[in-house]
Amino acid sequence: MKQFFSITVLLTLVLSTTSCKKWLDLKPQDGIVGDEFWQTKEQVEAGIIGIYSSLLSETSGTSIGPVESFFLWGEARADMVVPGFRASAEELDIVNMNIQPNNRYTNWRMLYQTINYCNTLIQLAPGVLQTDNTFTQEQLNRAVAEAKTVRALMYFYLVRTFRDVPLKLNATISDEDIEPIAKSNADAVLTQIITDLKEAEPGLPLSYGNQAADKGRVTRYAANAILADVYLWTEKYAECVAECDKIINSNRFGLIGGGQSIFDELYLQGNSSESIFELQFDVQKLNPFYGMHHPTIRRWGGAPHLMDQVFGPDDPNTLEVEQDLRGLGTSLRGSDFTIWKYIGANNTATSIRSADQSFANWIFYRYADVLLMKAEAINQMDQPLEASRLVKIIRERAEAFDFNSTMDSTSKSGMEEFILQERQREFAFEGKRWYDVLRNAKRNNYQNLQYLLEVTATSIPADRQQAAFNKIRDKNSHYLPIFLYEMQTNKLLVQNPFYK
Amino acid sequence: MNRNVLFSLVLSTILATGLLLPACKKVEINPYTTEDVNIVGYLAKHPDSFSLFKQILDRTGNSAFLNAYGAYTVFAPTNSGVKSWLAKNNAAAVDAVSMDKLQDLVKFHLLVDTITTGVFKDGKLPVATMLGQYLVTGVGMKNGASSYLINRQAFVTQSNVIVGNGIIHVVDNVLEPSTLTIAKQLEAKPEYSIFVEAMKATGFYDLLNTVDPDTTKRWMSVIAESNRAFADSGITSFDALKAKYSQTGNPASPNDSLYMYMAYHVMTGIKFLGDIITAPAHVTLQPQEVISVQYKNQEVVLNEAEFNGVFEPGIVLNRTGSDNAATNGVWHDAQAHYTLKYRKPTAVFWDVATFPEILKMPTHYKRQNFTWTRQSESDQPLQDIVWGWGALAGTNTMTYYYNSSSSNSITGRGANNFDAIQMPMGLPNRPVWWELTTPPIVKGKYKVWICYVQRKQSSSSNQLCQVSINGDVMANTMNFTLTRPSGTDAELEAIGWKRYTEGTNAVLAGKLVGVYDFKTTQRHTIRFTPLAGTQNDNYLDMIHFIPIDEPQYLPRFTSEGEKIYQ
Repeated sequence: MKQFFSITVLLTLVLSTTSCKKWLDLKPQDGIVGDEFWQTKEQVEAGIIGIYSSLLSETSGTSIGPVESFFLWGEARADMVVPGFRASAEELDIVNMNIQPNNRYTNWRMLYQTINYCNTLIQLAPGVLQTDNTFTQEQLNRAVAEAKTVRALMYFYLVRTFRDVPLKLNATISDEDIEPIAKSNADAVLTQIITDLKEAEPGLPLSYGNQAADKGRVTRYAANAILADVYLWTEKYAECVAECDKIINSNRFGLIGGGQSIFDELYLQGNSSESIFELQFDVQKLNPFYGMHHPTIRRWGGAPHLMDQVFGPDDPNTLEVEQDLRGLGTSLRGSDFTIWKYIGANNTATSIRSADQSFANWIFYRYADVLLMKAEAINQMDQPLEASRLVKIIRERAEAFDFNSTMDSTSKSGMEEFILQERQREFAFEGKRWYDVLRNAKRNNYQNLQYLLEVTATSIPADRQQAAFNKIRDKNSHYLPIFLYEMQTNKLLVQNPFYK
Repeated sequence: MNRNVLFSLVLSTILATGLLLPACKKVEINPYTTEDVNIVGYLAKHPDSFSLFKQILDRTGNSAFLNAYGAYTVFAPTNSGVKSWLAKNNAAAVDAVSMDKLQDLVKFHLLVDTITTGVFKDGKLPVATMLGQYLVTGVGMKNGASSYLINRQAFVTQSNVIVGNGIIHVVDNVLEPSTLTIAKQLEAKPEYSIFVEAMKATGFYDLLNTVDPDTTKRWMSVIAESNRAFADSGITSFDALKAKYSQTGNPASPNDSLYMYMAYHVMTGIKFLGDIITAPAHVTLQPQEVISVQYKNQEVVLNEAEFNGVFEPGIVLNRTGSDNAATNGVWHDAQAHYTLKYRKPTAVFWDVATFPEILKMPTHYKRQNFTWTRQSESDQPLQDIVWGWGALAGTNTMTYYYNSSSSNSITGRGANNFDAIQMPMGLPNRPVWWELTTPPIVKGKYKVWICYVQRKQSSSSNQLCQVSINGDVMANTMNFTLTRPSGTDAELEAIGWKRYTEGTNAVLAGKLVGVYDFKTTQRHTIRFTPLAGTQNDNYLDMIHFIPIDEPQYLPRFTSEGEKIYQ
């Protein structure tokens, strides 16, 4: 009996250990490991969607969400926005040209995260051809092309914001891949961006079959638009015009107008026929703008000079109301200078989105941008008259009126300045202003630094302006410093000499 | 055998333990929580750059306290900077410089606060150095790169080095404190000879040549005029200046216009340009006279104003020649000659419904109503119209009211421009006061008329208000719910009423709240405080400030905003 008991106990022990099959299995129970992923075409598709949704990430701690970065980098140093009463000290420092490397808004981490997702897909998706017979070469080309386009867009933001940045083209898949990497010259980065976009272009579809996907994923036209912008930045005007023409001649895009409300179609509903590429926020994934722009808690508002100096004041002594459709009720609310594009719920500037409705899309490119990029390029090619015709299309759609200057279609420099002003009106608060001003200022080896100085004169408080002017005269100051954490963890990085 | 085995085992164990023990290294425990050095430690760590400055600190006995707990900011000059300073002072080494001079030097490089470059402005730092003088910051260009410029003497080559007891900014030159007073500095410059002579004649030279040991009284700011500025106004010598202004013949008398001219150029307190532009007006030593300040096209402009539709161009302060720090203050250079101006008191017919914010709203100004709401207690949506927080959100508002319809019973009755501002007020829930900033008013005695459109929210509504200007309560109250009594203009004026519009409806009422003696020529504040009753429908249209010796009930205003004299 005693023996039987012992045997039973032993057997039970032996059996119980063997029945626990996963005892030595180290795989995580709540995720998928790399070896099991990248097997089917559905997983490739999920990888692509993952890239897009990484762009919707929120800010947490020192990791600033991509959209918040795009807004801040593109607007904070320029003259369209002023900090609201909830703006943080770090945000005020950016506005005042007092940026230090420990300013968290200089953190590029989230953009490199998206870049790594792109790199991973570009590296691993080709292997799926072996494991999934239903995955075609064409599908692979499209997936890789989408990843390359998004990667190019991210690098384009980085190169415009930081100038020289590390160019990482291979994936970081495990901890063993982490290695310090030095900065690449801005020209090398721009060359890579152009190569990527050129390679991606033939692989991208003209349409994904529905409106939301056509605007929310990169089509061939999105690649053309980014490429046009890159060519404009690198002062290759003929190439820029060629890319713009591809979009214009497709006849798939047009300007919202003809009685339709610009605000309702472009910003309130989004994904309009004017749009080329925009980030898709929705009820489940809200944008960061409620906390940034809502009048009761706002960190950012429109600058007070916008109505009388940018969009133009109406002469109250005439009966007819002259109003630029892009001003009041579209870009901003006149009474308290709330940035209306992202927070408004109607075009009469009376009703504001509620917190759970804060999902206005972030527009990267739209047709108006293509027309104005083309105008800028052909003006640089000494065709100011042709350029003025394109600008006129934009102005007529917006019912713009002359209030302090008229368009001089005979002068190249006059048109250059006018196009810059028109872009200011057209893309108010769309994260483009600083890049527009910098692009025009740095053209022909900083021929027009005064554009930047004018912006500084408008936006910087009087008691800091003289210092800011002298800072702006140092070209290195036009680019942000590398965030301190990156400097500490990647010893090969060299700080921008302005931030010593 | 067994024993031997046991023995060898024990032995080898002992041997092995013996051999192992020395191999077991002692773990070093770091008793410090941080390896951050203090200020002196940092300087000692970089002898290539700072050995000379450290030597100065050692010699003056400052090393000990700069290495102790505290919060300091040090501008640390590099060795090359100290060397060129020594060469300038004909000293071979640090030991050859006098102790006093070294001590002053160290004190001038030290601030008892942690100041990062983030708070650097165009002007002085918020705290003085330990020497008592302020440092001036700016940004300058050197070899195509810009960097912070301290006291116009040294560039910051490395900023915001954070150490255990403060912050170090490395500078490429030694900062030298000023040793002269304002008076002496100006005297040393021949291009200010006329101004200096005027200073001496009026007795201001002595005032500006003293360094008061009491720092609350020490600082003064002077706006100096160069001989060229005088010459541009046709004054080529001190005699010409004296002939022009000194009507009593004794410039030292406070009643003499030359004395007043001088007093008008001196302010108390240390005011760098960066401080001057942050306030709209500054009081001068000439009693009741202020200089107004504007910032236009990146220039600091004094005394530019529009009085009665006449534009008076201002005086620009020359930026490069200004912000000159002295031991007892700072002086600036004016590009042109100016003095205080006698202005005759002039009536101001202030249309309160024309304010900057509404002018920027073309769809509403002279077209339709618009309401501003205070979203929170920290929020004041308008620049020149502010109000005390009311508990009720719905009435925490200011409405620009416009209605030109003849059937409208408010502004439609013929208010100036058919518009007014609506100011809900009264305890317990509505705004508890309203305060408006007037246009510039020339100093003098004025009668103050509150012109409003009478309205009662309900038949029992009452809104009795006290009016105060610059905090002084006016003699009479006014009530937004009272209509204008009937009577001839003369009869009405005798009892403190007038009809201020072309329209004759009794709801359009002007009420005299009293006489006010404005002491200075500038913008003033007027405040409405409800005494009894509460309602939303208080429609304020205009406020008239009319000199006491001028006719009071004319001109009147049409609904197009024009003046009529009948």
